Order: sequence, then C-alpha cells, then structure tokens
Amino acid sequence: MTNPILENIRRSLGRTDHTPLGLRPAIHESRHAESVDSEIERFLVEIKKLSGVGQKLSPLDIESALKILVAEQNIHKATVWDTQYLKQLNVAEHLQSLGVDLISSNADKHEIAQCDLGITEADFILPETGTLVLRSSAEKPRAVSLVPRVHLAVVRPEMLRADMHQVFAEAREDRYLVFITGPSRTADIELTVTLGVHGPKNLFVWMIEE
Amino acid sequence: MSDTPSYIGFEEYSEHVPASIPSAVQQATNRFVSGRAARVAELPQWEQLRQIGSDIRQHTLENMDVYLVRFEEKVKSAGGHVHWAETAADANRIVLHIAKEHNVKTAVKSKSMATEEIGLNHALEAAGIETIETDLGEYIIQLAGTGPSHIIVPAVHLKKEEVAALFSEKLNINAPTDPVELAQIARETLREKFLTAEMGISGGNFLIAETGTLVMVTNEGNGRMCTTIPDLHVAMVGIDKVIPDWESLTVFLKLLARSATGQKLSTYTQFITGPRREEGEFGAKEFHIVLLDNGRSKILKDPVGRDVLKCIRCGACANVCPVYKNVGGFAYGSFISGPIGAILTPQMQGTPTALELPYASTLCGACADVCPVKIPIPTILRHLRRRVAEGDEFSAPTISTPLRVVASLASLALAWNWVYRFGARLLPIINPFFRHDGWLSNMPYPLNRWTKVRPLPPFTANFRTWWMNVRSAKGKDSPR
Repeated sequence: MTNPILENIRRSLGRTDHTPLGLRPAIHESRHAESVDSEIERFLVEIKKLSGVGQKLSPLDIESALKILVAEQNIHKATVWDTQYLKQLNVAEHLQSLGVDLISSNADKHEIAQCDLGITEADFILPETGTLVLRSSAEKPRAVSLVPRVHLAVVRPEMLRADMHQVFAEAREDRYLVFITGPSRTADIELTVTLGVHGPKNLFVWMIEE
Repeated sequence: MSDTPSYIGFEEYSEHVPASIPSAVQQATNRFVSGRAARVAELPQWEQLRQIGSDIRQHTLENMDVYLVRFEEKVKSAGGHVHWAETAADANRIVLHIAKEHNVKTAVKSKSMATEEIGLNHALEAAGIETIETDLGEYIIQLAGTGPSHIIVPAVHLKKEEVAALFSEKLNINAPTDPVELAQIARETLREKFLTAEMGISGGNFLIAETGTLVMVTNEGNGRMCTTIPDLHVAMVGIDKVIPDWESLTVFLKLLARSATGQKLSTYTQFITGPRREEGEFGAKEFHIVLLDNGRSKILKDPVGRDVLKCIRCGACANVCPVYKNVGGFAYGSFISGPIGAILTPQMQGTPTALELPYASTLCGACADVCPVKIPIPTILRHLRRRVAEGDEFSAPTISTPLRVVASLASLALAWNWVYRFGARLLPIINPFFRHDGWLSNMPYPLNRWTKVRPLPPFTANFRTWWMNVRSAKGKDSPR
C-alpha cells in the first residue's frame, strides 16, 4: 500500500524508502543537581513564583495542615488518589474526620466535577521550573489534578530529579504523563493574569520530610 | 472563520486596521518580549540550545518520512488510530466521519493552529455538530465571529467592556467588566460543555516518533479537559511536528515557553500515547490522530523555503516585528500572522494568493535574532520576493513591465561606470522643478509614493565624488 504523503515527501527530498536515516545531532547536557536541601529550597521558591503555595511538613503535621486547608478553602467534597503513600499518611481518614465528603477518584466525571479538592502525589518533581510530574493509572486518575478547583500534591525529597532528561529516561514508555507547572492560568482578557480558568485555581504542594 | 481568501491584500487590509489594534497588540508584544528576555538571561546555554534545536529540526525535515513511519507504527501498537490527510478537505472529511460514527452532537476544542488552517469548525458546524473553542481567548473570538489578532492572546484587541457586552449578549446574562469574573463565567459555561461533549479535538505541539507520543502544551487546562473528559479524542497535527525522540523534546520544551510567553514551562505539558488503558484513569477510550500534509510535503522541495517548517509556533518573531506591531494579526489574512505567516502562507497557499506577504517586512532581522530554532526569516522573505517577481513552478512572474524596464536600466547604470557618472551629473537638473523649502517633496508618480510620506534631499553630487572629497579631507585612510 502506498502512502501519497510519504511519496511526496520522498520526492521532494530526493529520498527513496531505502535511504538510511541520518544521525540525529547530539543533545546538550542535562542540568546537574545540587544538594537535596538546596534543590528543595529552589523547588519551593519556584512554586511560590508560580502563585502556588508550597511548604515543608512532617508526616505528623498532616492532620493539622489538612484542617487548615479545609477551613480556608471551604472544602466540602474531595477526591484522593488511591496510592500507598497517601494511605500511609491517612489522608482520607483525616478528611472524613473533618466532615469532608469523600468521592472515589474513579467515580463518574459528573461526581468528580462536584469536588472542591483533589489530592495527588507527584511521581517526580523538577526544582528548576517548580514542576510536578504525574503518571496515570486506575489508582492515579488524571481528572483528580485537573477538575476540582483546589489541587493538593504531596511530594517527597526522593521524587527530585535534576532535569527532565531523568524523568523521560524513567517514564518515556508511560502511556500518559503530565507536567504541572503552577495553577491553571490565562491572560486572555486585557492581559490580566487570572488563575483557575479551567483547571485548579489554587495549587498546594506539601513536601513531606520524615 | 479562517478559511483563507483567494487573494490576501495585505496592503489594503493594513490600511483598514482599527486604531485600537496597534496599542492592544503592542501591550501584549511588549510584555512577551520582556518576559522572554528575562528567561533567556537566566539560561547561559541559551544560544547553544537554539543551535541544537535548529539542527534537530533540520535533521528531522531531511528524514521526515522515516520518523513519520516510525510514529505511525508506535501509535498503532499503543492502540491508537492514525489517519493521513493530503488536503484540508481530506482532513475535514476524516474528522467528520469519526464524529458521525460516534454520533457526536457536541465537540469541545482546545487551541489548534492546524484546525484553523483547514477551517474544521466550519466543516463540523455545517454538518450540524456544535463545535466549541475552549481556550478563553479563542472562545471570545468565536463568540465575536472574528479571527485572532495575536497567536498567544488571540482576543487581545478586545477591551474587557467589549468582552462583557459579548458575554451578556451571547450567553444571555448580565456580565460584569472584571476580567477575573469574566474568566469565571467562561469556566462555568464551558465546564458544562466539557462534561457533556462526546468528542474532544486538539492540536499538538510535537509528535515523538520514538514512542508515538502526542505532546500538548497549554496554560489554562482546557487542553487537558478536552483530552481527559470525553471518551473520544481526535488530534489534528501537521506532519512537520514530528521529532525523533524524547531527548530531542527536552530541547524544544526548554525553548518553547521561554520564547512564547516568558514562562520557564507552560502550566500543563501532556504526553499522550494512545488511548487510556484502564477504565478508571480517565482519558479518551478511543484515540485518533490526523497527520495533515496540506502543502507541507511540497514546501520541502524548496531547499531555502523549507526552513519555515522548523517553526515551533512560539510567536516570538511576531512580538519583535515592527510591521506586525503596527498592523496586528488580521492584516496577514491567514490563520498565522507576523513574520512566520509572511513566509508560510505564500508557500502554503501559493505565491499568487499571498504575493504581498513577503513584502510585509522591513527586513530588519529582529525575527531571526529571537527565533528559537534559528529560521532565517529575512533570507526566506527575500527568496520569496524573488519567486514572486520572477515566477516559480506554481505561478507566472508578477513583475510589471515598467518595473522590469526600470530594473534593467538600474542594473545597466550600476554596471557601467560612465553611465552612472553621467546620470548622477544629470540628476541635479531636476531639483528646481520639485524643490520646496530645501527638500524635494512633490515628485511625480511613481516617485510620489515615497515623497508624500517623506521628502528627499535635493540631488547634489554623486556618491563617488562625495567619497573622494571625504577621503581627501580627512586624510587618506581614515574613513574605511
């Protein structure tokens, strides 16, 4: 079966379907990581520049931090990724004891759309740009970091990667991946920066240090 | 809205640009220019990145068939569908066919230059499928029924009061004039559409051949909504968007947002390889990608012009362009404006349709200085001017007989010393006829096209005489 577009490309370039592939130019070197402490500092500074709220917490502070978040952001319904670490932190139980309605993160789209808060765990973080990298699976549904108006991402120092080269080396075979760099934003009306136009208006990032 | 006219009259369009456009456009371009400069200053290896980016794009263009074949194989093995569209009509037909098969009544769209290029919205609307732009700026101009004035902020020419009036009229509400509240109204209105639409349509920034991955870069989150909520996702992407591998992508992601908006990265970068695997993870159950040619494979044939296909659509060239800043996006008569539009549209639509566009430039070169993949835009502009004037395989020469005669005479005069000197001596004779307050301000046609804008100084000596005088006055080797 011939493909007329490929035929046209080959004709324009003077190639045949047997012409070997040339060598791809070499890529620049990746950024080098600094000490863990300074990488964490850099990451949190970038989150702040992006109008997100980043803070360092111990696992023992989770309950009180959730209490403040729920009160300040007026959270009634929430949905949480079904991951090992979030279970270990008892995130769901704490929310329930605060009177928050919990919706399964695999629930129907209309139900997820009712949630005020979505809680995820980043799989990788990039300090240079303040970026969260999230993978996708039935335990880690894509809508949780997108549809609710508040997104809380829990991260740990071991998720730090120096540059996107390292992330891609580990996750290039994933069927879905998303980089999240700050809350949803637009400047489409008179260049006024507006947060939360379609995705979350508020982004919280908690760096949990044991 | 962006179906291309049969002739693009840049000069005529630019004479009718509303007074509000240049100021609004310049507000946007000034912000993006300073944002870009700040990000570039942070990155010492910027120039090296640009060079690598340019080299990889060059390599990809030269091997495009191989990478497209690889991309197609990988998408298919991930369970996605690949369609090839030779023309805009083919592409529209493919999307329409998919929509009908799935009984689609409403489609939500994220911003895509490729769908604007082919006029997909018109085709879908004509078939009775409601098609909604969901990027805030695109949504506003869709409601207004106009085209984009800027690639990144398409509705920047509209004041908040105009947006409020538009929302009030079209959505049947009483909209406030606060941009934040207007964005909130759009969020709520479009949220309903995301939840009910049967199909999401997107473009794509890059196609990774290595794994068959579609890369989408957005800020608002509407791109994620379109690909996460509906069960059906159709992506329309030009064949020029293919890149070899993920390592190459690191270069382009570092160049793109910094060049476009002055961000280090845009808010959301998605990497989509085929449909979702598991029911509960969200994302489309069925994934289609349409690979659009629409003239691109023909552009590859011109070894000078083809560099336009290196473009990663950041808009930096428009932001620094003195012509674009004063006329805005509409005057370019196409889905893509600014310097890149001036070199892409004539090659895509044919030189007869867009023969004015290569002239819509001062050739100052600012565009080439900021281009993240080092497209030599002024060189291509000059090359296209030559193609327009002398004719190419697509069109006859357009140069007029009087101009051809003048050009021949000029080359004669410049080639022969004595003709030049004689002519130069002769010219001052005409001074008394047109001199006014020490200037030549009222020359006859066609020279009045220049002198009605700015007067010429009177003819005095010729350049050679002037040069000799300067040299002898200042010593033999000073002005070199």
